[in-house]
Amino acid sequence: MTVMNFVYGFIVLLAAFIFQTALTGVNRKVTARIQKRYGPRWYQQFLDIFKALRKGSITHGWVFDFGVIMALGGIMATVIFIPVAGFEAFPNMDNVFVISYLLAVGMLGMAMSAAGSGNPWASIGVSRALTNMVAYDVPLMIVIFTLIFAFDTASVSEIAAMQQGMGVLGWNAVRMPLGGIVAFIALFGMLGKKPFDSFIAPAEIASGPMVEYGGKHLGFMFILHELMTFIEVSLILSLFFGGGSSILVYAIKYAILYTLVNIISQVMPRFKIDQAVKFFYRVPLVFAIIQGLVVIFLGWGVSVWF
Amino acid sequence: MTLITVLITLLTLAAVTYLLSLVNSKLGAYFTIVTSLATIVMLFLIKDSIGQSYSLSFFTFKLTTVGWYFSMVMVTVYFTTAFLNPFWIKKMIYPAAYNLFFLVSLIGTIGMFFARDFITLFICWETVVWTSTFIIQMGKSRKSSYVYYVVSAIGSMVTLFAMMLVYQVSGTLEISTAFSALSGQPVLALIVFFTFILAGLSKIGIFPFHVWLPMAHGSAPHTFSPVLSGGLVKMGAFIAYLSVTAFAAYEVFANTFTIMGIPAPLYIIMVLGAISIVVGTVMAIRQDDAKKLLAYSSVANGGYILIGILLYDQIAFAGGMLHLISHALASATAFITIAIVAYRTGTTKMSELGGMIHRMPVTYTVYLIAIISMAGIPPMGGFVSKWLILQGLADRGLLFLAAAAFFGSIGSFMYVFRPLSAVFLGQLAPKYEKIKEANIMMQIPMYLLTIATLLVGVFPNVVLRVIADIQLEAGIQEIVLVGNTIVVSNGVLDALRVFIVFGYGFLIALVIFILRRKSRRVTLMDTYTSAEFIHTPELLHYSSNFYAPFERLTKKPYPVLNLYEKVSIKIKEIGHMAESLFSSSKPAITIFWIIIVFAIFFLGGVL
Amino acid sequence: MVLENQDNRNLWEKIGDFFSANSIWMKWYCTGCGAIELPPTMTSRFDMERLGMGPMATPRQADVLLITGYLSSKTLRRVIYSYEQMQDPKYIVAFGSCTINGGIYYDSYATINQLDKYIPVDLYIAGCMPRPEGIMNAFADLITMIKKGQANGWRHYQENYEWYKQNQLDSLKEVIIHDEFHE
Repeated sequence: MTVMNFVYGFIVLLAAFIFQTALTGVNRKVTARIQKRYGPRWYQQFLDIFKALRKGSITHGWVFDFGVIMALGGIMATVIFIPVAGFEAFPNMDNVFVISYLLAVGMLGMAMSAAGSGNPWASIGVSRALTNMVAYDVPLMIVIFTLIFAFDTASVSEIAAMQQGMGVLGWNAVRMPLGGIVAFIALFGMLGKKPFDSFIAPAEIASGPMVEYGGKHLGFMFILHELMTFIEVSLILSLFFGGGSSILVYAIKYAILYTLVNIISQVMPRFKIDQAVKFFYRVPLVFAIIQGLVVIFLGWGVSVWF
Repeated sequence: MTLITVLITLLTLAAVTYLLSLVNSKLGAYFTIVTSLATIVMLFLIKDSIGQSYSLSFFTFKLTTVGWYFSMVMVTVYFTTAFLNPFWIKKMIYPAAYNLFFLVSLIGTIGMFFARDFITLFICWETVVWTSTFIIQMGKSRKSSYVYYVVSAIGSMVTLFAMMLVYQVSGTLEISTAFSALSGQPVLALIVFFTFILAGLSKIGIFPFHVWLPMAHGSAPHTFSPVLSGGLVKMGAFIAYLSVTAFAAYEVFANTFTIMGIPAPLYIIMVLGAISIVVGTVMAIRQDDAKKLLAYSSVANGGYILIGILLYDQIAFAGGMLHLISHALASATAFITIAIVAYRTGTTKMSELGGMIHRMPVTYTVYLIAIISMAGIPPMGGFVSKWLILQGLADRGLLFLAAAAFFGSIGSFMYVFRPLSAVFLGQLAPKYEKIKEANIMMQIPMYLLTIATLLVGVFPNVVLRVIADIQLEAGIQEIVLVGNTIVVSNGVLDALRVFIVFGYGFLIALVIFILRRKSRRVTLMDTYTSAEFIHTPELLHYSSNFYAPFERLTKKPYPVLNLYEKVSIKIKEIGHMAESLFSSSKPAITIFWIIIVFAIFFLGGVL
Repeated sequence: MVLENQDNRNLWEKIGDFFSANSIWMKWYCTGCGAIELPPTMTSRFDMERLGMGPMATPRQADVLLITGYLSSKTLRRVIYSYEQMQDPKYIVAFGSCTINGGIYYDSYATINQLDKYIPVDLYIAGCMPRPEGIMNAFADLITMIKKGQANGWRHYQENYEWYKQNQLDSLKEVIIHDEFHE
């Protein structure tokens, strides 16, 4: 661990932020085109974030500030651990459990800060967000568990590397189709995209956890959201869609995956939170367990595809 | 210094404490701190003589690494909790007895962990059960202590049966050699295994026996709940440990039906562990009483420990053992913070509290760190142990156990956040405006436990080295530790590096935050209310029915409790029948029965 | 306010105003009949997001408060409450003639006639009601004003807080209600 690791980490952070924010901007335009609108400028998301950081803000006590800082800090640390096309700022630290649990620091910080505002809408939003997490994470973790068992490693970059060199057929989403479906559906839940966006429902619970944020706190939340999106999409991309052999391939695949999720979510209605739990425990959980049993007992899709 | 000296010194100190408490109960309470501190010191002094055997009349002891490790966990919890004793001692009905039982139960656990023969094990075990039963009933309800005692008694009586069975076959009471006589008798071994482990299951709160935990933890005196949850339930883990080492379940059942390489009897127990993870999590989410919530979380975490220890391999076993200490620390901390909130406000009901952070920031921070550990989030102790268990499960491909473990670990975010949000965050009710922070004496254990949790999380290898020694002692492959890194067959973890990178991220966020314009401080009530004017803080605090949608999904009746209820009604009826037969208002009938009983008793041999 | 032409902002404020101008989030608060013109402005036909504008759920997040038509005194309390919860820089755009002189409700006991006595208005849109074209035009003007640093209503409100407060109290007795329904 040298100074260079931290510099690399910062570069990853900056690149992830710029790339994902630009992509979000482009996707706002995509959304607009789906709705037959012209849409905002592609860099609109940057303007929004810097505008929010520029504005004045309020605080409801130290936990309101501390939670936001803790959330962004945890998420930034997680981004640093994410391997991008085989490149890792800190080598050998891309354990999938570390990434998925360190992500929870960010969520806990955000939840804490939101509840610290003393607003009931925020608490309701947090309660829904946590319920949503229990819904999507269990099937996803079972599929990831299957991957770890199959490849005997929990390193994201190693799992990604094992899928490369065989084209599309090498992807885990193709080798283990049910697991791929589960991961793709879980990605909607992770990103809080429709139909699983009831915890930030703006018209119903006044945007839930975000209700009291204004100014720099809101700017932090936007940065956090972009980085969290980066982590989640990267994780699914590396684990199930083969990662990328070079940065360019990675970026293209990433953009396609994210845009696909966005396009699908734009034509979806919204689930109630208990419907979301029911859905995840009826369909993806069963898929995940079947996939797990197939891999563990039959060994299909593990060694070589053909 | 020998173990015998330690035990005798402790017993003497306990007697001194009792006498002092008779004079001045508060002084006696302070003496419990001194005594438990002395225990820690003495345990460190005897660490070098590990491997030696001692005996005291018919008690025999053997100093083992695993016993030492368990004792250290236990005594840490006792020591830190003892700091609360002086503040609650006035509320106890029998203060002197409380102090005595507090220390005697500690001595009992230490004796149990070092026991070499069954009699010592059983007597020490029963000492702990009895003393804790008497302490529990000094709390809110007497019924809970009955439930605790009955469940414990069922466990320990069945275990005694197992011990006698083994004695009959082997002719020896020494734990390590007695079980070896069972190797040729699979049916007997099966009976002994299930009966022996039952005490452990009932103590650690595994699924059908978990009913006592919420009742006892919830209504025990606030100073004893941390000990119960952090310490005493870990005695069950010790029995589980004995069942895989001394009993050698993997060798005894090697020829039976195996599931994923695990003998079926062990797998059944592990499935019970998995069920208790799920049940504990679901029930914890639904509680309104903070102490009951934490009690159910102990049920869930007990499942992790049990699965880890019973897997008895390089990775998961180390995880289970590490989870023992990380959960003991986190759970004791959480119970202590709730105790302090209850001390200041007089309630543990979450729907009645709120906004405590504005009055008790230290307590809040301590609770936060405890729940980060309990939920298994880095960089705290709970993460490393859960990581090891999950890696171990993934290594073996135990899908259903892993599914329960994932549900438990993600569900724990839900239930640990509930007290955080409902008790500490949110609106501060006007009636709690004048609440004070915990005083410095109460803060000491919180600091100690928090530092310990953080140390286990950042430098887990210090503890894992001891666990590696235990693995060596148990005869399984040791966990591989390289510097500050844990290396397992399917992953690497450097907890220190995770902590440093987290600090780095936090620093960047902090710098950006400070560089931006300072925020304006507004009051809690100045909040978005859809432009409606609300002046009642209680109405703006969302704390009851927190997870209403999730609770709706899990509202199905709870079969085990119903079953127990029915059984207890039947037993009561039989009792009433017996009572009506023997104690009737007419003395003639009573005498008649006495004659019949005597007749059968004396003539039974002849007939 | 629009007439003040001297520009004494420093570079950072100019950059900040550039961001503020290009990303305006409006508080989604329909005070009067004019709100019906906003859905077409937002959706496919006129697409306000082109200008970087969008609706936001709470006043904490929003930059611009739209007073969409007549304002009853009951609503005025809420408007003031919401406006004070917004973070500066914040802007107010008033719709239609009702906000200027009361419009057709000029003699109603329940509505106020002149909005900028109570809160500072940066921009008025003429018409009863203004069509989406007019609204879009107004938003374009607002963007220009913010860029030039001329939308200073919030600063004016801070500087003349006493005067605004006095007007509010004269008209409403008290802004925040304390009665049995709210305690």
